[in-house]
Amino acid sequence: MLNFNIAIPKDRREQAWWIWVGVLGVVLAVGVFGAIRVFVKGLHVTGLSDQVPWGLWITQDLSSIATGAGAFTFSAIVYLFRIKKYQPIARAAVFVGFLGYSSAMLALAMDIGRPDRFWHPLVYWNVHSVLWEITWCVILYSTVLVLEFLPIFFESKYFDRWPQIRKYGDLIHKASPVFAAIGLGLSLLHQSSLGATYGVLSGRAIWYKPSLPVMFILSAIAGGISMTLLLTMLVSKLNQRQIISRELQSDISRFAGYALLAYLYLKIWDWAATSYYSQSPGTTQALALLQSTTPYTQTFWWIEIVLGGVVPAIILLSNQLRKNDRYTMFALAAIIVGVTVNRWNVTLSGLIAPPQWSPGVIGRIFSASYLPTWNEIIVSLGIIAYALLAFSFGVRYLPIFPKDEQSAH
Amino acid sequence: MISKKTSNAKKNGQGKPLLSRKDFFQIAGATGAAALFTQLITSGPLSPDAIQGIGGRSHAGEEGESKYRWCMAIDLSTCIGCQYCIWACQATNDVPDDDMRWNIGFPERTENGTDFFMTRPCLHCEEAPCVKVCPVGATWKRKDGIVAMDYKRCIGCRYCEVACPYDVRRFNWEASAPKKNPYQPTWGSPEIERRSRGVVEKCTFCDHRIDRGLALGLTPGVDREATPACVNICPVNARIFGDHNDPDSPLFKFVRENETFRLREDFGTEPAVHYVRPEKEDA
Repeated sequence: MLNFNIAIPKDRREQAWWIWVGVLGVVLAVGVFGAIRVFVKGLHVTGLSDQVPWGLWITQDLSSIATGAGAFTFSAIVYLFRIKKYQPIARAAVFVGFLGYSSAMLALAMDIGRPDRFWHPLVYWNVHSVLWEITWCVILYSTVLVLEFLPIFFESKYFDRWPQIRKYGDLIHKASPVFAAIGLGLSLLHQSSLGATYGVLSGRAIWYKPSLPVMFILSAIAGGISMTLLLTMLVSKLNQRQIISRELQSDISRFAGYALLAYLYLKIWDWAATSYYSQSPGTTQALALLQSTTPYTQTFWWIEIVLGGVVPAIILLSNQLRKNDRYTMFALAAIIVGVTVNRWNVTLSGLIAPPQWSPGVIGRIFSASYLPTWNEIIVSLGIIAYALLAFSFGVRYLPIFPKDEQSAH
Repeated sequence: MISKKTSNAKKNGQGKPLLSRKDFFQIAGATGAAALFTQLITSGPLSPDAIQGIGGRSHAGEEGESKYRWCMAIDLSTCIGCQYCIWACQATNDVPDDDMRWNIGFPERTENGTDFFMTRPCLHCEEAPCVKVCPVGATWKRKDGIVAMDYKRCIGCRYCEVACPYDVRRFNWEASAPKKNPYQPTWGSPEIERRSRGVVEKCTFCDHRIDRGLALGLTPGVDREATPACVNICPVNARIFGDHNDPDSPLFKFVRENETFRLREDFGTEPAVHYVRPEKEDA
């Protein structure tokens, strides 16, 4: 009675599918047009500047990687710690992870000034740069994701005619524990290093803190689990079949709730230690500037903490509320929104309120500004459309989900 | 594994060694690896001191000499705000776009209401945040202290712009189509190649002049051919350049004789540009 129904009647399904694919296809095409325009005209068609050199695309990059973190979480749980009951969702997690990481790489390819030199970090090393480490980790981990995903791909009907290839797929699948271990190591490194990208910059007081890497990985675990489960539940609803058991769904939701609680705990202490119980001139000035010129203080409290933190934590940790699919899906979506807004706020806060260096007083009220242009927005939407299209086709044609509850092995 | 074996040995009471040979090698191996890793990140090419470590190695021949430490002083009490230094820089380094000036200046006011003109090139920090963060070592520190750029290596990620607290870096946003440089030839002629779109640019202390000048036996900061364009053009000598390691250099003398400060020393960046306050106390 509590569970809502968004299922499409069987006779209208094919029509709905083509409308869905058609709409996404158009958005993707518009995005490709936007991307070509950027490559031809240069990055000055974006709203970015030398004061705010990172914006929407970097936020998208960080959010895609964070919400793709379900892959390493579930791979480690299933193949490394051998908690087999999570097996039915592991494939979906790997698939969603792959889409997240490929989206991130697309966003990055748009953002860097010389995408033709994307391979430079592999050849020219600066071991002291967290970004160098991140580049290596993301490339290696994407390879791991492809290897983890290949066996699923080879299982599809299309490969019936090539049993040899399928055999290789099985061979790769046997190595799953190895990939899970490597994936866990690489993810622990780069998911937190993405926070360290900002956390190590001693010239920017508002960022310079050791808590950022840890907050990034905790929020990524919560966000990654949420993205995987939310998409799984959506597919369940649309197809009117329970893909994973209600018990497993409840377990995973609770797991997301605990991960979120850990994140919230650290986040509250981070705020309390840096801006409630103490005053450091750089941070206090920057926060005051942000409060007076941007909505970031409001979005921090209302979206990151309340909507994306406290509310979903209550829903997912309450045995009563968690039984309701509508509440659960709302909570999972709220976590994803919270993590995304967090990545935006972290990126922009340090840039909008830059450190003051002039010995004069006129510049004391300087704050930079940034608004993404339409060109940036259509490219971002295009990347999202790519991920949704790939997900839709994957669910339709590949054995991503167990056929029914029982056959989940 | 270890606990299982040792407990078995105890249970059986057969006087087996507490550690098997395999256990011993495992523990020794793990300890050795941990020690090696600790050694690697505290000293050697991975240590925080070896910033150039691997990235800088392939810049042989352009690294300068470690006996020099090129520094600049800017006297804000002398500066008249004519902006010649800005235009000379744009002509010499071929920066046609005013939004991309490497040498930036704007009117400012002190707390006491004295107007002055604030200018700053790249500060060529001793502990440059931009050098530490560059993922490809495209921005690197020369032995003589100059923070240099390798435009052929830069991928345009702009992390250096994010890391630099002084806002001295400029990304090449727009196509560098054959755009006319309005400052040439009035303020100088181009001495270096114009950069391609998509890389981050910055002031180099005119290192091409320093290198060529030293090769010809000239003294940067004294001989005009070996001195940065902005220093040469200044009509009131508000900019002084030279080797901080040389007690006879004009820069060393100036810094010794004047009360100077550096921008935001609390960041620990150790800039190489020294300033004299706009309101000189002995005036």
